[in-house]
Amino acid sequence: MKNKSLVELKNVRKVFGKVIALDNVTFTAEKGEIHGLLGENGAGKSTLMNILYGLYSPDKGEIYIDGKKVKINSPFDSIKLGIGMVHQISTLVPEFNAVENIILGTPEDKFKLPIKEEREKIKKIMKELGLIFSLDVKTKELPAGVKQKIEIIRALHKGAKLLILDEPTTSLVESEFRQLLKSLRALVKKGVTVIFITHKIKEIMEACDSVTVLRRGKVQDTINKEQMSKEKLVKLMFMEKDIKVTESALPKVELPPAKKSKKPVCVVKNIEVKGKEKSKGLKNISFEVYGGEILGVASVSGNGEKELASVMINPFLLSNGDILVNGESIKHLSTLSVFNKGVAYTPEDRIKEGILNEGSIKENVLLGHHTEKRFFKKNLFINWDEATKAAKKTIKDYNVATPSEELAIRRLSGGNIQKVIMGRAFVSPTDLLITHNPTSGLDVLTVEFIFNKLVETRNNGGAVLCINEDLDELMIISDRIAVLHNGELKGIFQRSEFDKYKIGLLMIGG
Amino acid sequence: MKKKNIIQNDLPVKLLRSLSVYGLALLIAFGLISIIIALLGFSVPDALKTLITTSFKSAFGFQETIKKTIPLIFTTYAFTIPFMIKFFNIGAWGQMLFGGTVVAAVGLLIGNFGLPSFIMIPLLVVVGILAGGLWGWFAGFLKAKYDINPIISTIMLNFVAVLLVNFIATSPIFKDPLEGHPITRPLSSSAILGFFHKIPYSIIFVILAIIFVYILLKKTKLGYEITSVGYNLHAAQTYGINFQRTIMLTFLLGGALAGLGGALEVMNIHGKLIEGFAKTSGAQYGVFGILTSLVVAGNPAGVPIAAFFMAVLLVGADALQRTMQIPVEMVFLSQALIVLLIVIIRKKFEPNGGK
Repeated sequence: MKNKSLVELKNVRKVFGKVIALDNVTFTAEKGEIHGLLGENGAGKSTLMNILYGLYSPDKGEIYIDGKKVKINSPFDSIKLGIGMVHQISTLVPEFNAVENIILGTPEDKFKLPIKEEREKIKKIMKELGLIFSLDVKTKELPAGVKQKIEIIRALHKGAKLLILDEPTTSLVESEFRQLLKSLRALVKKGVTVIFITHKIKEIMEACDSVTVLRRGKVQDTINKEQMSKEKLVKLMFMEKDIKVTESALPKVELPPAKKSKKPVCVVKNIEVKGKEKSKGLKNISFEVYGGEILGVASVSGNGEKELASVMINPFLLSNGDILVNGESIKHLSTLSVFNKGVAYTPEDRIKEGILNEGSIKENVLLGHHTEKRFFKKNLFINWDEATKAAKKTIKDYNVATPSEELAIRRLSGGNIQKVIMGRAFVSPTDLLITHNPTSGLDVLTVEFIFNKLVETRNNGGAVLCINEDLDELMIISDRIAVLHNGELKGIFQRSEFDKYKIGLLMIGG
Repeated sequence: MKKKNIIQNDLPVKLLRSLSVYGLALLIAFGLISIIIALLGFSVPDALKTLITTSFKSAFGFQETIKKTIPLIFTTYAFTIPFMIKFFNIGAWGQMLFGGTVVAAVGLLIGNFGLPSFIMIPLLVVVGILAGGLWGWFAGFLKAKYDINPIISTIMLNFVAVLLVNFIATSPIFKDPLEGHPITRPLSSSAILGFFHKIPYSIIFVILAIIFVYILLKKTKLGYEITSVGYNLHAAQTYGINFQRTIMLTFLLGGALAGLGGALEVMNIHGKLIEGFAKTSGAQYGVFGILTSLVVAGNPAGVPIAAFFMAVLLVGADALQRTMQIPVEMVFLSQALIVLLIVIIRKKFEPNGGK
């Protein structure tokens, strides 16, 4: 057994700040197999493979290739060791054709580009894999499936005997997936090993010879083809083997019975949103959020949750349907007017969309509120005294660790930044809070703090729409959970009906 | 959680760091300049003394410095304000020229109506602001609506403005028949700003402009939106700030300030529209405005001081040429060195390149 394994990661640990991304992970892939790596978003799949590829260095643990212990400090090292990785996002130069892209970074002669010779080599690889496409077209004009093939060939051209594919099917249509599968089978026959990262169980069952399931940075199990069943994989992916471990790692939040308002605060009526690029958008979604409840939205990322969050505060994205807040349509309102109606928002990507990095905490707290009466004098001036007061209150109420509201926000830790963003949402009276992944990447104590704030809002009669990729967290804090898959609403569960298996299955379209 | 991380307030640290950046850059720059001057065979102490102290030694030197500082402040703002949201306005030159040209044309056309100064001067100042604003806004509009890079559009608009100066200065309606060069008739005396002890009255408008820019950027909603977009476009947009409108606004403001600068040049320095306005002064202030803005890393608060400093060097350069026959290119070289060194050292020292 031992000699057959091509790659072995032993007891790998990786910590980002206070968050344990990988905890004592041991992973083995055999020669000539397609090995799946399955898990939810944030389970640690990509982190693990980025360590193998040399993009991250592990805090602890060892890597063995062909039974020999190796040190991988950068992708240069891993390429030399015969590891190739195809990332989720295309890394091709759009203006180059396939050949130019494939030979990029193979500097054998400093002055001469061996295009002709290499072209023949590439053609040979294509033939072996049964691939047909033009080598002379600029890659920007090629469909996603072909681009991916070019990336695979590039890895093989550099001598990869281990190929890591990170969520390779995100941008593929069904027929392209079939083709990819065929090529991978051909590769495996030649003795190449493929690691296939995905969160889609269907793909694992179709493509992989064996699979390792990760959950919250830990290995749940490694099983081979004969043992695979949908039920087993869903359980491994969403449910803990050892219940005790989960409990200590999850935030403790009480959800006391609360008074639900008679009328809904927010009504979403048959909305449609066109998706951007890869996403499929939203199709005919309807739901209601009541005062005094937290409605959780569970979805695997890329299934419309991003569009849902955006359209709630930017109704111009609607291509059909209507959204009512407190009985009034917000269809024709700008984002600032939506905020003025008592809607607050915390975005998914707190650094990119949430904060003015160079701005002070004060300037950040004001963002989105700056046209409200309290902060806006004579239709022209900002009332900075009020802004200072609001910032001071946020810092106090949310325990933000800072000497003053004038400090540049980028100097705060992620948790404190999220507290400022959360505090900003409650600067003015809020009837409806839309919050997207409010706790991703935060340590358990901060997660508890933020969830308690959400629950407090709910207990005081506010409505909360919490879009969260972490199902465990949603089950703790939600009164109801709506499941999005492929841009469609697959069902809404009452708290009494919460069932991790059922919800998890719906999330992956089962 | 209970243990609060202690983060020190960063203002004093920042200030000290900025000071050392500028100090070090100037030190190295003047060191290099000294070497070059010595290699050219001139006396280094004399040259440095002339370069730095001419502005302060005589009343004439100081007046000249102020005369150059004023338009430079306007063109520096014209670059700085769009630069706050990461756009390059290369068009301060054209916006200044367009403002000045329209003011000269309007001033000559209504010159015979016998309007008194207290109407004529404010009127022409407003005309200059509107004309420059329009010239700047157009570049912003092209970016916002058609995604045309403002670097290209502002450069093109510069060319148009230069030709417009020639067109007005040579047209039979405006041209001074007594002059051989393309020069318009002088503006009526009611349109002319005078001097107070040889300091141009336009300094009043500069002070007003500085106050205006400060209040606009620090106290108003528009300023807050510009600042927010500059800090992080995505977040500003997510929270409802209209990016397209902000682009147009910054170019409008920049152009308006450059246009005001052009109007004041015509009304206070030249008293008419001369071809040289396009070729020498306009071009000079346009380019030096960009350099000056880079010196202060696009921070509007530093603009007046930096513009004064650049004017000192410009006046010192003239003196070097006049009194020591050191070629004036020497000074352009030293200015380039200073700007480059400040930019490089800032990148090295400050955690995020001073931006």
